Amino acid sequence: MIRNYLKIAWRSLMRHKTYTLVKVAGLAVGVACCLLIMLFVRSEWSYDRSHSKSDRLYRAWQDEAFQDQRFVNVITPLILGPTLEADIPEVEHTCRIMSMRPIVSLGANRFTESVLMVDPSFFDLFDFPLLRGNSVEPLAGPGSLVLSESAARKYFGDGQAVGQELEMELGEEPRRFTVSAVVADAPVTSSIQYEMLISYANAGTLIPQQARENWFNVNTETYVLLRDDASLEAASAKFPEMMRRALGEDYPKGGFEIYLQPIADIHLNNTLPAGNEPISDPKYSYILATVGLIILLVACANFVLLSVGHSDSRAREVGVRKVMGAQRAQLVSQFMGEALLVTVLSLLLGLGLALLLLRPFNTLISRDLAYPFDAGFAGFTLLLAVVIAGLAGFYPALVLSRFNPVRVLKGRLLVSGGRGLLRQSLVVGQFAASIALIICALFIGKQIRYFQEKDLGYDREHVVVVPTNMNRQEGTPLAERYRTALLTHSEVAAASVDLYSFAETPWVTLGFTDEQKAYQSFQYNMVGPHFVETMKLHVKEGRAFDPAVTSDLAQGALVNEAFVRHFGISDPVGKKLPGRFPSRIIGVVEDFNYESLHSPVAPLVLTLQPDSMMRYTENVGMAYGPQPRISVRLQGGSLTGQVALLKEVWAAVAPDLDFEHSFLDESVAARYQAEQRTGDIVNIASGLSVFIAVLGLFALVTLSLARRRKEIGIRRVLGAGVGAIVRLISLDYARLILIASAIAFPLAWWFMSDWLRDFAYPIDLAWWVFAIAGLAALSIAWITIGVQSARAALSNPVNSLRTE
Amino acid sequence: MLLELNNIFKWVTQGGNRVFLLKHLDLAVEQGDFLSVMGPSGSGKSTLLHVLGMLDDFNEGEYYFQGEPVHGFRDKQRARFQKEHIGFVFQAYHLIDELTVYENIETPLLYQKVSSSERKALVADMLDRFGIVGKKDLFPAQLSGGQQQLVGVARALIGKPRLLLADEPTGNLNSRQSREIMELFQELNAEGTTIIQATHSETNAAYGSRTLHLLDGSWTSTPEP
Repeated sequence: MIRNYLKIAWRSLMRHKTYTLVKVAGLAVGVACCLLIMLFVRSEWSYDRSHSKSDRLYRAWQDEAFQDQRFVNVITPLILGPTLEADIPEVEHTCRIMSMRPIVSLGANRFTESVLMVDPSFFDLFDFPLLRGNSVEPLAGPGSLVLSESAARKYFGDGQAVGQELEMELGEEPRRFTVSAVVADAPVTSSIQYEMLISYANAGTLIPQQARENWFNVNTETYVLLRDDASLEAASAKFPEMMRRALGEDYPKGGFEIYLQPIADIHLNNTLPAGNEPISDPKYSYILATVGLIILLVACANFVLLSVGHSDSRAREVGVRKVMGAQRAQLVSQFMGEALLVTVLSLLLGLGLALLLLRPFNTLISRDLAYPFDAGFAGFTLLLAVVIAGLAGFYPALVLSRFNPVRVLKGRLLVSGGRGLLRQSLVVGQFAASIALIICALFIGKQIRYFQEKDLGYDREHVVVVPTNMNRQEGTPLAERYRTALLTHSEVAAASVDLYSFAETPWVTLGFTDEQKAYQSFQYNMVGPHFVETMKLHVKEGRAFDPAVTSDLAQGALVNEAFVRHFGISDPVGKKLPGRFPSRIIGVVEDFNYESLHSPVAPLVLTLQPDSMMRYTENVGMAYGPQPRISVRLQGGSLTGQVALLKEVWAAVAPDLDFEHSFLDESVAARYQAEQRTGDIVNIASGLSVFIAVLGLFALVTLSLARRRKEIGIRRVLGAGVGAIVRLISLDYARLILIASAIAFPLAWWFMSDWLRDFAYPIDLAWWVFAIAGLAALSIAWITIGVQSARAALSNPVNSLRTE
Repeated sequence: MLLELNNIFKWVTQGGNRVFLLKHLDLAVEQGDFLSVMGPSGSGKSTLLHVLGMLDDFNEGEYYFQGEPVHGFRDKQRARFQKEHIGFVFQAYHLIDELTVYENIETPLLYQKVSSSERKALVADMLDRFGIVGKKDLFPAQLSGGQQQLVGVARALIGKPRLLLADEPTGNLNSRQSREIMELFQELNAEGTTIIQATHSETNAAYGSRTLHLLDGSWTSTPEP
């Protein structure tokens, strides 16, 4: 019996090859696409879960009241860790992780590296496997250095790294470190990333005692391991008392609250600020998960649509089998089994396809996703198979088998209206999803193009940034020599030596308390006198820095319009900066987007010397290490040749130092990586969705034309032209596409306006984008239908009428 | 007595009026009969055969098959009875396109829980008897109309039915093929199979042992037992 079913299933599939191909390929492609997207989403959601103690690991964060404002920070005082360990019995261990970007040198090679200064408990809390060297106490003393595998390879190649020495510029003078061990690279899905690890034993000589014991000086992430039997609530309940004791009379003034955040929560919780590593907006995971699901649904709809559409041709078989004595249950199991067979085949094909496409997909999204060979995944696939098979098989199985065989055999089956409705709604659903995806892809693409093309108020093209990898005292003379040497070449239009280039934003955050006792903050950068000219900023009032005016150096400041607006300064030129900062405003530059377009332009101060600004600020925030960086504006033309020139000049000025460089436009574009990635995926997804929907429509039209062969024949005999018949058939479907558009437009509009809300500079939701998407779907559908119906209309009507 | 119809009515309601498909119909068929039902298109021949074959309901009257009251059966009972006792031959053959000749003939046995070895033997016998052994692996589309109908008859007989119902069995065939099928029916009848056929053709009707004429759902002459 089963063999008979399998045989007939297989032969029925083979008899309708095109139809089978469309059905199976559509589902396979949909499954593959959905699977890849879900893998990415899963990796976003699996951050920091790989540590064996991750369910007991937390990161501390603080909510501190300062004057009228609250400061939420995941970077905490150095003293927090030891205090927690001493005062809270639930805490088993803590580990402070302080991120630094010092210059590391081996001989003449100098690189800026990401170095973490960590407590020795680091390797007890986290599962970062030590590969070579001292695995017992790798961070025993201040001179110990643990290298990541890739750092070990970078400095020592294939040779033995353990036991070698490296020099690191920490604090005032270079320090020597000896490599004690090599640790595996942190996985991409880790909120703790490192090239090198050094011990907290260095803190004593690196950070002044006052900063080490002060609760109002934040420097480090603090990770907490709770005891096996401890509860988060019990531990948290003891924090206020701990803080009261620690701060003494300072405490009641405003409150200084400590909280713990589960380690797995770090990556996607954007209600807290980012710590050492950037976090993700969970929105993107949801968007992509939705897109993946839509693709899967479109593919399933396609599959069901074709199965149901094709079941008419099986009706006769059902009738014959019934007359032969088949019971309903037997027919149901036959058709359900058949649907399951095809579904499983398609799913397997889809899984294979995903495996095949994993590598290009990884390249596209710059991730390192692995194929999930686990039970949960297998279970999900099985469930999917049963659901799709159930939907695809239910019509032939349950509806056809119910019919009176006499009616089926007489071919009186085609009159049932309900089924037509199901089919039509599936087509409408598919096209609605496709149109919505097209619209989203167009808008996301538009927003990304806008990011790339918007006039930022400065010119990011033809600018190469060369870092010195030295501190300010040492680096500035070198940078100035380099600048002077460059300007002798006609290819170089301008150059500026600044503490931060446009590639390293945010710059420095400075804060002060104003006369109203309100805390104020603004952005700051120390720039060279040629900054305005090099970056092509526009001076609105006053003037730019002038190397000839000596007072500029000591107390000249440029501010932006946002600064003037924010602090309400009228006639700003000549005025002193607010707060205790002594500099005077010599000019106002037009607002320019030095930060990403996600945020509006913040108030900004530029000076030639940092000293007075640093002396009077109450607060300093830095995301990047300060070092002289040379921004070089080239004349344009061949970049490779000009970069070669930059390198040549560098070699002449600093023969011992490696030449590093980056292109400003690329660095700026990299800020929109999340958008770019989403855009790429939505692009591909919308293409696939349209593809699947068109496949489905094609097959459906073919089937429906086969059924209407006689009608078309009669109309032809009665004198209808080919055009009239094509129109007749096309209009039916055009109506469906219009309904689909009517559903897709508001959905896409709602989705996109929600997405755009987060940007300080959103594009408009132009109506013509909607129109384009609708027209595109309509014309694709029309071509599909038109070709098919023209073929049907052109065939000799005698052939189609003779069958009776 | 193999079967008996008493005062059978069957109607459909169209626009509020009853349109009678079968009206006041009596019939008695003995074991071993070969009955031809004649009548113009729409006279109710097919409907009668469907009622006799338990494929279709009727609205009023009694139907006894081997003394059992079919009108009182539940669907399941009726389906079992049909499966065990009745074979069908259709004008359009109604073979399953995806199955070979062999598999088509085998199909009814699958629904009667016959063991695999027994099925093999039965189908082999049938192929042999109809002289289509050489065609057993072909698909219906590869056969001529006459051959397809031969397979149709073989399939109808494989379950050893008491009653063979044939609805215009030669309607799609040429005269030579028709003759072959009719001669086959005669042979089967001689071996004891009861046959009721609906036909347009006087020639075909003549193969039967008696002929009844149907018009608008009623006999034109009272049937004689």
